Formats: sequence, structure tokens, C-alpha cells
Amino acid sequence: MQRIGDTADDLGALDDGLLVTRAAEGDDDAFAVLVHRHSSALLALAYHMLDNLSDAEEAVQEALISAWRRLPEFRGDATFRTWMYRIVTNRCLNASRGHTPSVPLGAVAEPAAHDGSGEPARAAESAAATAALAQALRNLRPAQRVCWVLRELQGLSYEEIAQVVGENQQTVRGRLFRARRTLMEEMASWR
Amino acid sequence: MAIDDPRGTSPCDEPATSRRDIDAARLVGDERLPCGRLVSHVWDRARAAGDQADPHQADCTFCRQALEGLTALDNATRTLRGERPSAHTVAERVVRAVRAEVRLGRMLPLDDPARELRIAQTAVAKVLRRAADRVPGVRAASCRLSLDQSNTEVTIAMTLATTLDQPLPPRAAEVRRAVAYAAREELGLAVSGIDLKIVSVLEPLKSTASAEPAPQNGRGR
Repeated sequence: MQRIGDTADDLGALDDGLLVTRAAEGDDDAFAVLVHRHSSALLALAYHMLDNLSDAEEAVQEALISAWRRLPEFRGDATFRTWMYRIVTNRCLNASRGHTPSVPLGAVAEPAAHDGSGEPARAAESAAATAALAQALRNLRPAQRVCWVLRELQGLSYEEIAQVVGENQQTVRGRLFRARRTLMEEMASWR
Repeated sequence: MAIDDPRGTSPCDEPATSRRDIDAARLVGDERLPCGRLVSHVWDRARAAGDQADPHQADCTFCRQALEGLTALDNATRTLRGERPSAHTVAERVVRAVRAEVRLGRMLPLDDPARELRIAQTAVAKVLRRAADRVPGVRAASCRLSLDQSNTEVTIAMTLATTLDQPLPPRAAEVRRAVAYAAREELGLAVSGIDLKIVSVLEPLKSTASAEPAPQNGRGR
């Protein structure tokens, strides 16, 4: 159940379902609440899929605007969140099919830190491990990468992931397994 | 049965059936270790176990090998999970674009003597929803408008979510008054009927709402 105060302005207390109903009828205030509620997770998803912040921002922006236009047709057989994940994921997959990003995010923290000579070696090592993971993630096949990002970075259930990527749960589990295995191997070779 | 039953499920394993299902349809790329366990199971168990250590896994070299690197991956994953770029700019851009993209819907006649003025349905719905929202403990969901055969009067169909801290009939009456008032006085719409349906329950926000007096809203009375 959603909690509600008594001021008329706090649409923020409403659940997605109610907001979607209003937004689908053209209530842009309701849609604005949905945008602010979900954009951070969607941007993180796109960012880890595309490896590049401005590409990710563009993907999320376009996905949300197209969602606004398509909301009147939204039937509600998925949640708004799953539906949005799906739109963003498709955009990212299409984008990554087209080109390789010009400024990869991993370039930020390449294992330069991992000489491990000084005292804060631990932090440096952890940063380097994260950079190695980002690099390994970049090399994953997009279909595996989506599943891994949705599961490990976004915390979606297998069922939700299956809905987002339009595959059955067994396929999702298989992709996750192979993604994990590849990431572990790549990280091991880095160490 | 050997302790290293390839099924890899001990009796105390809660999601035994689901595990068996997974094993039956083995994941593509999964591998059975020489000790009989599937790599995917070893990982799942290591993650799920936590407090309940698995005696086999603790002693088995193959399992331990399969687990090497899992902790490193999990640690790095946690850090990566924290990398969340701010979405503020994107959200603002989207909201601006959406607000600029006017969706008018049908045009409805206003109740003016010359019958020349019309108003966009979405604008009407917005005002009427707001009127309902101002009634304490009520939020409007859908607000649909239909033009009567006369083409001069409008029927309002609204669905509502409400708290249950007051009886519904008087509250619905209050919504009806507020909506009728807004339609007539704020918009100048001729209304032939208002259908209200309560479709969802809201929980009062006890912490603040009970501490503050209900806001005075001058509308609808």
C-alpha cells in the first residue's frame, strides 16, 4: 500500500501504477514523478551497457520520451519499471551493435594503480580490480552483458530479467553463468 | 549414495526442487567437476550459504578451485554497483521535453452562451484531478471525459485511490463536490454527471499527516 500525506502536491507518494494511469492520460506531472523515480537506475543500466556517459544519457532520454508517447498503449502486463528497462535495454543493444564507443569508461581507472608499492595499496588494488572488471565486462557479448548487469548491478530477479530481455529464465540463467565464468577468468588473468 | 551425489542437493537444501530442475536442464557452458558437482551449483551455494557452511565444499579441492576468484569478482562488482552517474540532467531534460510536447486530446465545449469556446480534454482532466487530490486522503487516478449527445454537456468518469481512515461515502461526496465546483467555477464546463470509482487504497502517512492539522482547502464547499 502506498503512504500518503494530505498535501495535494505530493504525487511522489503514489505508486507507479497510479502514476502510469495518470501519465497515460496526459498528466505530465505524474510522468515527471516517474522520470525522477526511475532515471537513476536506468542511467546506471545504460552506462554499464554502453560504457560511455553521454551515449547512456542519450539512450535514457530517448527511451523515456518514447515511453511518454507510447504510454497510452501501455497495457500494464509488465510493471512500468520492467517496461522501461526493456526499452532502455533495446536501445543499448541497438546502439552497441552499431559502433564501438569512442571514450570507454574503463579508461578512467586503468590498472596503473596496481604497482602496489605504497601503503594505500589495498585501495589501489581494489580500484584496479574494478577497472579490470569493467574491462572484462566490455568484452562480454552484449546479450550476456545485459543479463549480468541487470542481475548483479541492478538486482533484478531472474523472472524480471527474462521479461526485460524477452527470453525464458533458463536462457537467462545460462547467460548469467557464462558471463560470470568469463568475468572470473578475465579477472584471474589480470591478477 | 555418495556424498558427492551429482545432483548436489542435500536434504536440508530448501530450494531443492528448483535446483533439481536447473540440473535437469543443465545450463549451457556449465561444467561438472571431478567431485560430481556442477560449477554453477558451487557458486550458488557459496553465495547462498553464508552462515551454513557446506562440509563437502569446505573440504573439496575442486570446489575450492571453482570458487577461486568468486570473491574477487563479487568485491569488484560491489564497487561497480556503486558507480551511479547522476541522472539529474537527463531527468530534467526529459521532463522539459515532455512538458513542451503538448498532448491536447479531444476539444470539449465550454458552457458559454455563444458556444464558441473549447478546451482541451487533458487540460480539463488536470484541473479536475487536482480538485480531487485536494480532498484529504484522496488521489485521482484516471479522469475521462465524454461529451453527451447534446454536444454541450460533459460526463466525468474518475477513478480514485483513498485512505480508509474515514468512511468512504462522505469522502466520495466531498470529492464529487470538489470536482463539480472545479468544473463549473474554475473551467466553466456544463457537467451532466460525475461517476466516481474507488479503485485503490492508500495508507495514511502517519508520521507527518497526523501531527499536522489537515490543510484547509477552500475549494469544493
